Amino acid sequence: MPFLSHGSYRIRYELDGPANAPAYVLVNGLTQYSELWGTYRDTLIARRFRVATFDLLGQGVSDKPALFIDQDDHIAVLHRLIGELGDGPVFLSGISFGGLIALRYAIEHGARLSGLVPMSCFSELSPQLLLIGNALRTGLILGGTGYLQDLLLPMNLSDQWLKPLLDKLDSVKRQGWLVNDVYALQNLMESFLDFKPLTPQLSSISVPTMILNGEFDFLTPRALHETLRVEIPDSALVIIPRAYHAFTLEKAALTADLLARFAEDVLAGRWQGNKQVLIAPEDAGGDFSPFPAGYDHLRAIPVQRPAT
Amino acid sequence: MSAFFGPLQADGRVPPRQQTRVAAFLVSAHGALARQFAVALPARFDAAWQTELNAQFYRESEIVSLLVRATAWVPDLALGPMAASWEMAWLPAPIEGIADHARAQTIHLATLAHAVHAGIRPAALLPTEANANDPFVMALRRIEFESGRLLQAQILFLKGPDLLPFRDAISATLERRHAEVRRLWHETLAGVGVGLRE
Repeated sequence: MPFLSHGSYRIRYELDGPANAPAYVLVNGLTQYSELWGTYRDTLIARRFRVATFDLLGQGVSDKPALFIDQDDHIAVLHRLIGELGDGPVFLSGISFGGLIALRYAIEHGARLSGLVPMSCFSELSPQLLLIGNALRTGLILGGTGYLQDLLLPMNLSDQWLKPLLDKLDSVKRQGWLVNDVYALQNLMESFLDFKPLTPQLSSISVPTMILNGEFDFLTPRALHETLRVEIPDSALVIIPRAYHAFTLEKAALTADLLARFAEDVLAGRWQGNKQVLIAPEDAGGDFSPFPAGYDHLRAIPVQRPAT
Repeated sequence: MSAFFGPLQADGRVPPRQQTRVAAFLVSAHGALARQFAVALPARFDAAWQTELNAQFYRESEIVSLLVRATAWVPDLALGPMAASWEMAWLPAPIEGIADHARAQTIHLATLAHAVHAGIRPAALLPTEANANDPFVMALRRIEFESGRLLQAQILFLKGPDLLPFRDAISATLERRHAEVRRLWHETLAGVGVGLRE
């Protein structure tokens, strides 16, 4: 198991796939660990990509600073990992907390990227997200990692995914519970206490950007992704049908295919962001549909957009 | 070497030798914290935060009491020298960059408590097939859960505005404490066939 150094800390990472191929770097969400990208690794390698995954500082097998983690630490670690990939094209994607790190990286080191895919992401804390985040942190403090998982699972996954697992949820939660310590998760969450909105800097992201948002994501709802679409010049917003916040887990085959197609389009010069709003196919390999003209994609009912 | 207790007994209980070694370590660590909180407790409180000292003292004492009663103790000749090395490790050490003795004592207690509450996860050693009705199993789960809550006082104190000017000294001291407690914990577990990643 290889490790990168960040000061006195060790960061566990994994590099798979052909060394001279375009690379995808995948950034974990808060309670994630790098094994959860397994389907992405397989799919992207089969499509001739190199894949880099890692546990964030404070997460999984990486070292866990006892007291302080700064957001800058995550950017520095990511920069070091991307430095391991040589000079070829690099596509960066992250989910939720990891999406935010990817956004910051694109703002600060965009020249090193060929493409960006923020998923279930946000550039500022809306009042709802701020209060939900505070409540989740309190849940972690009072009830431990298991209680945080109890809150996140039904919030972020569909009934269809949960139903067959209802009588074995403990085993679903166990690996995440084992590898994530309360204090380390708390440190990760608290690295956001001084969060400064990224929205004013989004327009500086010049790389092609595909923004992925689950249809039913209420932790980071459409309006938060809309900010990314409006502000990032070469972007498109892609809505994943019937998906919640954790669609990378629930719809891994579809999402991995979308990532591969995006990078293939960018590399072939076919990508056109145009700030489009698209609906992803239900299954891997299917066609994208444009969001119906004239209707407001920020509403959950078919409301026509006011004429401009 | 497994990362979990075992092989379990037929009824899903943790082998008594593993129970004894782990409980002895936890009694030593939480007992030291109970004693040090008892010394720090004033007879009368004049600040709201001192109520937390009272809570910490009783929770630590409760953990010791719980382990004494829930563990299937067996004779363990290796415990004597091990316990002596543990007790030495819990003693205060000078903190570089903190000249004020009273402040250094408080930081010592907070960093030791943080290292024990955050770094020691006894319930994570239980395999899935451990007997949930066994008192030792229940005790370990309770200790890990309570440790997560007790830890909040240490986090608030160590990250608090009073210690902000000493952030680097605090971080270095805490990391050293964590490393030391982790080393002792791993050695304890390795002696009974449980291996954790360094």
